[in-house]
Amino acid sequence: MLARAHKRAMLQIKQLKKTYASGVQALKGIDLEVGAGVFGLLGPNGAGKTTLMKILATLLEPDGGEVAVDGVDFIGQKTAARRMLGYLPQEFGLYPTLTAEQTLAYFARLKGVTDAKERARLIDALLDRVNLNAARGQRVGGFSGGMRQRLGIAQALIGRPRLIIVDEPTAGLDPEERNRFHNLLSEIAGADTVVLLSTHIVSDVSNLCGTMAIIRRGEIIAFRTPRAALAEMADAVWEATVAREQLAALKARCRVISTQMFEGQMRVRVLSQNGRPGTEFCPVSPTLEDYYLNLASQPEGVN
Amino acid sequence: MSDTRLTPFVAVFQTELLFNLKRVAPYALMLVFSANAVLWWGWGPAVARGWAVNSDFYIVWLLGGFSFMTTPLFIALLMGDPVIRDFRVGIDPLIFSKPVGRAAYLLGKFCGNYVVLVCCQACFALTALALQAFSRPGMIVLAPRLLPYLQHFLFFVGVTSLALGAICFTVGTLTRNVKLVYGLAVSFYPLYIAWQLTLKGLPWRWRIVLDPLLFNVGGNAWQGQSADWLNHLTVSYDGDMIANRAAMCAVALVCLGIVHARFSLVERVRADAARHQPTLLNLAPRAERLYGEAESFGAAQVAQASEQVAPAGAVGAGKPGALPEVRIVTQGWRATLDQFRAALGVEFRLLRAERSLVVVAPLVLFLCCLELAVYEIAPAPSYSAAYAGRTAEALLLFLFAVAVFYTGETMHRDREARIEPVLWSVPAPNLVLLLSKFAATLLLSLALITLVGVSAAGLQLYKGHAPLEPQIYLKTYAVILAPGIIFMIAAAVALNILLRDKYLTYAASLAVGGGFYYLTGQGYNHWLYNPVLYRLWTPADLVGGDALTRILVHRAYTLALSVLLLALALLCFERKATKDLTEQGRLSGAGWTTLVALVSVAVAVVTGLIVSAGT
Repeated sequence: MLARAHKRAMLQIKQLKKTYASGVQALKGIDLEVGAGVFGLLGPNGAGKTTLMKILATLLEPDGGEVAVDGVDFIGQKTAARRMLGYLPQEFGLYPTLTAEQTLAYFARLKGVTDAKERARLIDALLDRVNLNAARGQRVGGFSGGMRQRLGIAQALIGRPRLIIVDEPTAGLDPEERNRFHNLLSEIAGADTVVLLSTHIVSDVSNLCGTMAIIRRGEIIAFRTPRAALAEMADAVWEATVAREQLAALKARCRVISTQMFEGQMRVRVLSQNGRPGTEFCPVSPTLEDYYLNLASQPEGVN
Repeated sequence: MSDTRLTPFVAVFQTELLFNLKRVAPYALMLVFSANAVLWWGWGPAVARGWAVNSDFYIVWLLGGFSFMTTPLFIALLMGDPVIRDFRVGIDPLIFSKPVGRAAYLLGKFCGNYVVLVCCQACFALTALALQAFSRPGMIVLAPRLLPYLQHFLFFVGVTSLALGAICFTVGTLTRNVKLVYGLAVSFYPLYIAWQLTLKGLPWRWRIVLDPLLFNVGGNAWQGQSADWLNHLTVSYDGDMIANRAAMCAVALVCLGIVHARFSLVERVRADAARHQPTLLNLAPRAERLYGEAESFGAAQVAQASEQVAPAGAVGAGKPGALPEVRIVTQGWRATLDQFRAALGVEFRLLRAERSLVVVAPLVLFLCCLELAVYEIAPAPSYSAAYAGRTAEALLLFLFAVAVFYTGETMHRDREARIEPVLWSVPAPNLVLLLSKFAATLLLSLALITLVGVSAAGLQLYKGHAPLEPQIYLKTYAVILAPGIIFMIAAAVALNILLRDKYLTYAASLAVGGGFYYLTGQGYNHWLYNPVLYRLWTPADLVGGDALTRILVHRAYTLALSVLLLALALLCFERKATKDLTEQGRLSGAGWTTLVALVSVAVAVVTGLIVSAGT
């Protein structure tokens, strides 16, 4: 399935494949075309998101396929690709004995900001942008998770990157830091920048992304705008509170999207395109989580 | 019925045993200790002096030497970090949230690792025991015996290891800094030698009672005795020896008591982190713009739409596109040079921050200058040349250790600090990332050489051995040490790249270094496979003439090999740039590296032939 954006495609991925030495087929021929803006890649753990991100970040060699950003071949021309890249990995560290300012200065020089005055101005602006100005002289070894993450995105912004990859950026952050991070990401995306947000947190995508794809077991199984995804499920999601014992019978009868314990009983959301599935059900507005869980729980091969 | 109070202790103890069973280190130690026993058996002084290899005297002599040579470092290796490990891997909250007492936890950790340590050390005694069945020409072997090996091993090695193990365990557990434990182990040697010198004036019985390794056992009664007398000697433990061992056990108990009293389960807060209170930093605005718990995309869209018309500055200090325009230069040699300078600055700063340097630098200084301070130096060909030459020879061994260990730290730091993916995605060539590490270690080594050189010069002046000739020092270090250290660091870089494992590289380097040292000791010393010129020069050679020319050509040969090793490291570096040798009709990074490698091979061959012809 070729997932194509309506806007001019900046990032183009064709038949990208990767199988690890252990035999795990992490990517089974991904096709994707993404325009400028924040793009969400949603998928469960082990779906292949991080493998895809690592290939895009030039850190992993694919077995086959093509990746290009604005015509630059990311597989064959890695040096050129790295000039267009800003990368915030899922798990990353920083040198604990360097201060925030020294860390950014280091990355700025590695990314080619050679003029000292310009570099100082850029670092000031970056620290300001990520609200770390007051901690600029502090060693990053003493930073909290949120501060470290903000410093991580600051280094990713250096050098006018055209493709910014953020892999699971909000995992482990408290709700306030998470919202702060969302704000930051939404500010970053410009007319000529793709922000690729990989996550398994649905609300990250619903909050930020104009377009999204869902990846499962190395395959793209959906490519939509979140609005279109919700439109597909309009008037088809129903909710009821049932006894735990009734759940098995319900599952046999309906397509259960999700279940959640609520005051000792099960709150069940089901998908039914053919009207109310039972008298105990009432219609609810679909959420992106419904869409995602519905797709993720479908048997393999159903796209 | 099992005692439930013992259950946590047994669990911790068993886990330590299981954990060590799956480590490489204990097996490596067993191998090293067994090999050591074989070496002492077949190639020790027993044959030359007529000592029976299984006499009581020789067993005690062997165990004393074994303790001195291996005890501190290997005890530190096994006993320094059992508790630190739990904090490092983050399993501490899981353990301490269970009903495990401090005593059970600490004792389980200590006993588990002590048992492993003793088992490893026992390989030495067991190998020596097994070797009774064999003999070499001229070797005296008494009737096979069993008990003396086990008894003396436990008395001399087991008790010593208990006390030193408890000290390492206490320091490691309380400071949670394993490098400090290694520093302590390294400093054991000068401290022990100094302690022996202090004891020298005391009567023999006190020299035995106060000697932690029982090196002085036998006192003057054994000195000057015939081989036959020694072979029939039965070593029994007198009151002084038993008092010494009891004191060592008491030291162990006191250490364990201290660690029990002072050990804290709470997480350490770094001083600077506590001072800055990072958790209180809350300058970022509240996230009013977007709703993290938006019920549906529609709600989120509404939130986003409302944000688009929000006045600038309403949220956060910055706004989209507010970053200043800067000039980005990533191509050309100037850009590469700037990147290299930045990387070198950071690498050297990180290397300087290594805590082990606090111990290593004074130790190198002390041991390199010890000979100059204690012995009379002959002015051959001049005082400055002799002082520089002696320190250069002594420094070589330490520089080998610096090259191996600090290059390993530098090469693997990025991966251990998990900064590698970020660093590898920047548009800096591999040359910058690798050579900055090489250059940082080289700078550190040069700083050590300078430190020793300045100290030697100071000592020369202090002893009144004028005139001081700085140019002689400079010449000696530049010609003899600098190319040698460049080669050793380049080799360490290449090995780290090829083997991709720090500890494997350490083991391989130590094996190569040890083999080289052994071979040169046996007389197998040739200019072509001795890139560091170990035992191949004298200060007089540097005065001039053919000898100096041969040395200079050999240095060119060494430098060519170093360049070749660095080129090899670059070509095998895991981070790939381009596979092709050319890019858009010009040589790519890989192309240039291949070219440099070929040129260095040619230079090495030519200079090697010249050196060979000269020798």
